[in-house]
Amino acid sequence: MRISTSQIYNNGALGIQRNQSELYKLQNQISTGRRVVTPEDDPVAAAQALIVTQSRDVNEQHIDNQGNASSQLGLVDSQLNSLTDLLHNVRDRVIQAGNTGTLSNADRQGIATELESRLSEMLGIANSQNGAGDYLFSGYQGAALPFALDGTTGAFAYAGDDGERLLQVSSSRQMAVNVAGSDVFMDARGGNGTFVTASGVDVGGVVGAINQGTGTIDTGSVLNPQQWQQAVNDPLAGQPLEIRFSVAAGVTTYGVYDPVSNTTTGPLPFTPGQVIPLLTSAGVDFGSQVVVNGQPANGDTFTIKPSSSQSLFQTMQSLIGILRTPLGSTSYTSTEYTNALGAQLTNLDQASANVSRVQASVGARMNELDSLGNSSSDLDIQYQTSLSTLQDLDYVKALTDFTMQQTNLEAAQKSFVQISGLSLFNYL
Amino acid sequence: MATGIIGTGISGIQAAQLGLLTAEHNITNANTPGFHRQRTVQASNTAMSTGSGFVGQGVHVSTIERMYDKFLSGQVSSAQTASSELDAYYTQIKQIDNMLADPNAGVSPALQAFFTGIQQVSANPSQLPARQAMISSAQALVARYQGLEDRISQMYDGVNSQLTTSVATINSYSQQIASLNGSILTAQSSNNQPANDLLDQRDQLVLDLNKLIKVTTTTNTDGTFNVYIGNGQQLVTGSQVMTMTALPSAADPSRFAVGLKTTGGTQELPESLITGGSLGGLLSFRSGSLDRVANDLGRNAASLALTFNAQNALGQDLLGNIAEDSGFEDFFNVPTPTVVASTSNAAGDPTVTAAYTSPPPFSGNFYTDLTNSDYRLNYDGANLTLTRLTDNKLWTGVDLAAINAALLADPQGFALAETSAVYTVGASYLIQPTRDAARDISVNAVVAADPRLIAAAAPVRTQAASTNTGGAVITAGSVAPGYTAAVGLPATFTYSPVLPAAVPPLNMSSSVPVTVTHGGGAPVAYAAGASWNYVSGDTITFNNGISFEISGSPNTGDKFTAMQNSSAVSDGRNALALGQLQTQNTMSGKTASYQSAYAQLVSEAGNKSREIAVKSQAQSALLKQSTDARDSLSGVNLDEEAANLMRYQQAYQASAKMMDIGNKLFDSLLSIMS
Repeated sequence: MRISTSQIYNNGALGIQRNQSELYKLQNQISTGRRVVTPEDDPVAAAQALIVTQSRDVNEQHIDNQGNASSQLGLVDSQLNSLTDLLHNVRDRVIQAGNTGTLSNADRQGIATELESRLSEMLGIANSQNGAGDYLFSGYQGAALPFALDGTTGAFAYAGDDGERLLQVSSSRQMAVNVAGSDVFMDARGGNGTFVTASGVDVGGVVGAINQGTGTIDTGSVLNPQQWQQAVNDPLAGQPLEIRFSVAAGVTTYGVYDPVSNTTTGPLPFTPGQVIPLLTSAGVDFGSQVVVNGQPANGDTFTIKPSSSQSLFQTMQSLIGILRTPLGSTSYTSTEYTNALGAQLTNLDQASANVSRVQASVGARMNELDSLGNSSSDLDIQYQTSLSTLQDLDYVKALTDFTMQQTNLEAAQKSFVQISGLSLFNYL
Repeated sequence: MATGIIGTGISGIQAAQLGLLTAEHNITNANTPGFHRQRTVQASNTAMSTGSGFVGQGVHVSTIERMYDKFLSGQVSSAQTASSELDAYYTQIKQIDNMLADPNAGVSPALQAFFTGIQQVSANPSQLPARQAMISSAQALVARYQGLEDRISQMYDGVNSQLTTSVATINSYSQQIASLNGSILTAQSSNNQPANDLLDQRDQLVLDLNKLIKVTTTTNTDGTFNVYIGNGQQLVTGSQVMTMTALPSAADPSRFAVGLKTTGGTQELPESLITGGSLGGLLSFRSGSLDRVANDLGRNAASLALTFNAQNALGQDLLGNIAEDSGFEDFFNVPTPTVVASTSNAAGDPTVTAAYTSPPPFSGNFYTDLTNSDYRLNYDGANLTLTRLTDNKLWTGVDLAAINAALLADPQGFALAETSAVYTVGASYLIQPTRDAARDISVNAVVAADPRLIAAAAPVRTQAASTNTGGAVITAGSVAPGYTAAVGLPATFTYSPVLPAAVPPLNMSSSVPVTVTHGGGAPVAYAAGASWNYVSGDTITFNNGISFEISGSPNTGDKFTAMQNSSAVSDGRNALALGQLQTQNTMSGKTASYQSAYAQLVSEAGNKSREIAVKSQAQSALLKQSTDARDSLSGVNLDEEAANLMRYQQAYQASAKMMDIGNKLFDSLLSIMS
C-alpha cells in the first residue's frame, strides 16, 4: 500500500496522543483514588453510589437520633428513679402513721409536715426541665409549666397534654423520647385498678355520712374481668354500688344496693371477714367480690365504684389531710382513720406500680435503642463497603495498567522518531 | 513541432522540466491541507511517417493531473461531518458530566444536609438554633439548585453564541466556494485544462463546511459546484450564495435557530434539517441532552418545593399558626411553570398560563406527577391539542377546559388557564413546566427571617379524659389537606350506650359531624350528637380531614377530646413527616424519591456522555480509515518525490545529452565541409 508522508506524521502523533490520554485518565484515577471520576466512567455505579450515599447518610442520621433519644430517655429515667425513691419514703411514713396505738395527734402532724416537703419535692420532679429548658413531663407543650396548684380547687392540675415527642430512630421506628406527666402523675388508677372501695356514703364523689362501726373493707378483687366490663356498661346497673349494713336485734345483715333499680338485695346474714359478691337484685353480676372485716354498725355503708385516674398529688394531699385531722370524735373514728389511710395507701401503691410501669417502658425503649444502635452500625459498615465497591479504585490493577500504558507510550514515541528520521533526501 | 534529434531532445527537456516542476510543487505542498499530489501525464508525439516506417518525434506533456478520487473524497467528507457532530456533542455533554462528577458539589449532599436539618428540628422543635440551621441548609440547597441551573443556562447561551459564529463561518465558506466556482469556470474555459489547485481549494472548503454542517454537492457541466444542506436547501448555486442566519426561534425566542435568508424574508429551518457537523452536534446536544438535564433538575426542585410545602401546610408553627391562619407561611417559594407564546401568534390570541396542581397525598406524604418533558399547545381551527414533546403523546379537546379535564385523568402535574377562549388557527404555545424551576426556587423570605414559622408541630392533639374508667386509648390524631380547625374544636366524643339497646348497639357520639370508617369500608357520616356503634380501631374523621382512632374498651361516660394543639412548642410530629419526604417516592407519580430522581439524571447524563464518547471514537476510526484511503492515493510521499526528482533529472540530462550528440553530429557534418 502506498503511504504518504503526512500519514506517517499523523498516525504517529495520533498514537502518541491516544496513549497519553489513557495515561492521563489512569493518573486521574490514581490521584483521586476513585474508579468513577465522572459519571461517564460508569453511569450505573455513579447513580447507585448516590443512592447508597443517601442510605448511608440517613442511617448516620438515625444513629445521631438514637444518641439523642438515649440521652433524653436517660434524663426521664433518672427523674423517675428519684420519684420511685421518694414514693418508697412516703410509703414508710404512711405505714408508720398507721400505728394508731402509739402515735399522738402531734406525731401525726409531724409526719404530715414531712409529707408536705415530700410533696414539694415531688412537684420539683414533675416540673423538671431538660438541658434546653423544655419541661420533661408536659407532652407537646414544652414551655408550659406542667403542674401547678389551682387556687380555686386547691388541687394540682396538669397543664400539659398526652403528646409524645417522637424521634426517627430507624427507618421504620419513631420512638417517643418523653413520657407525659399525666401518665406518670395523674393516670394511676385508684383502688385495685378496677374499682375503688370506700367506707361511708358517697354523695357525689365525697364521703357523706361517716360509718360508726369497726367494719373495714378491703380493696376487693375482680374474679372475671369480662363480666365486670359488661356489668359496668349494663344499663340495668349503676354506680356506685353500695353495701348497706343493718343491725337488728344483734343480727347483722347486709344488702347490695344498686342506684339504677334503687333496690337492695337481701337482707343477707353477715359474718365478719366473709366474702361479699357484687351481685345486684336486678341480676347484674360484676364478677367481683369484696371482704368486710370487723363489725359494721347499723346504717354503715361501703361504696364501690369503677376506678378512674387518681392524681399522685391528690393522694399526697389526701394523706396530709387525713394526718392533719385530729382523731377521737364520733366524726372521725379510729376505724374511719384506718379505712381512709388504707385507701390512700392502696392509691400510693397503685401510683408506685404505675411509676414502675412507666419506668419499665422507658427502660424497654432504651434497650431497643441499644439493639437498634447495633444494627445501625452493622448497616453503616455495609453501606461503606458497597460504596467502596461501587466507586473506589483497585490500586493494584490501576498501577499495572499505568505501567503497561507507559511502556506503550514509550514504544510509540521511539518508533515515531525512528520512522520520521528515514528519508531518501538524507542520501541526496 | 520540433523534428529531428534536437527537436526530440527539446521535447524531452521540456517534459522533464515539467516533471521536475510538478515534483517540486508536490514537495512544497506536502503539508498543504486539501492538496492532492499532481503528476504529469506524458504522451509520445505523433510519429512522422517515412518510407522506413514511423519515426518517433519525442514526447509532450498532455496534462498535469491531480490524484483525486471523487468517491474517496466523498467518504472523507461524510465521515468528517459525522465525526465533527459527535465531537461537538461530546465537548458539550462533557461539561455536564464534569458538572455532575464531584460527589460533594452536586445537589445530593445539600439535600442530605437539608434533611439532617429537618431531623434536628424534629428532635428539638422548641429550639430556635435548630430551626435556624434548617433554614440555612435549605438556603444552601436552593443555592445548589440555582448554581447548577446557572451553569445549564450558560450552556444554553454557549449554544446560542456558537450557533451564531458557526453560521457566520458557514456563510464565509459558501461565499468562498461561490467565488472559487467563478475562478474555476474562467480558468478552465480558457485552456481546457483542469485548474488543479483551485479545485483542491474548493474541495477543502467543502470539507471544512462539512465540519460545521452536513452538505451535499453536485457538479455542473461547466465544472462549478452546487452545495445543498438538509434535504435539498440550496446554499451555493454556481456563484450564487444563499445566506444563513442565526435567529431567535419563533416557538421559544430564548433559543436560537438556523434560518435561510430568502427574497421573502428569513425562513427558520426545522432542527431536523440541520444534521452533521458541529452545528448538528450543538442542536442535538441542546434538544437531546441539555433540555433533559435542565428539565430533570427543575422537576427535582419543583417537586421538592411542592411536596415540602404541602406537608408543611399540615403543620403548625411555633407561634400556633396553622394553614388557615393569615400568619401561616409556606416554606419554599414555588416557581411558576413557563409558558412561551409563539412569536408568530396573532396579536389577539389569548395569554395562556400554567400552574402546578397541588401534590396529591399518599400514605401520609405527597407526590407530584411532573415529567421532564416540555409540552406544546396548538389550535388547528377546531380543536386545541396538547402534545408532550418527548413522546408526542396527545391530549385533544374543543377548549382548554376539556384539555384540563383530560389532564385530570392522566395527570402531568400542571393545569392550564387562558385569558380568553378565542384562538386563531395556528396559535401555538410552548409549556415548560420545569425548565426554570431550579432557577426560580427559593426559601420564603418571611420564614427565613423568622424560623419560628417552620411548621414543625401537628395542628391537633387528642386526650382521653382523666375521669375515664375504661381502658380505651385514642391515637394522637392526624390531618389531611383541606382540614379546618376554626370551628368545632375542641371536639368531644362520648361513649354512652343509647337506650333501649339496639343491635348492634349505638353507643358513641360526637359534638361535631363525623364520618366513621370501619375496616376498609366506605365512610359513614353521622350528625353531631348522633350515636353510632363503637368498634375498636375505627377511624373517625371530622372537620374535613382531622382523623384519629379510638381502640380498647371504653366504659359508659368515658370521654375523648380532639383539640387544637396550642402552645405545643415541643411537638415535632410534622417535622418528622417532613423528614420522611426524603426517602418517600415523592416524584414522577410516586415512582422516585428526590435522590433517586437526581441519581437517574446523573446516570442518564453519564450514559449519554459515554454513548457519545464511544460513538465519537468509532467515528474517529472511520474518519481515520477514509482519510488514510484518500491520503494513500492523494497524499505526497517525499521519498517518492525525491525519486521523481532524480528520475526527471536523469531524463533532463539524457535529453540534454541527446542534444549534445545531435550537436556533435552536426559538427561532424560541418567539419567534413571545412
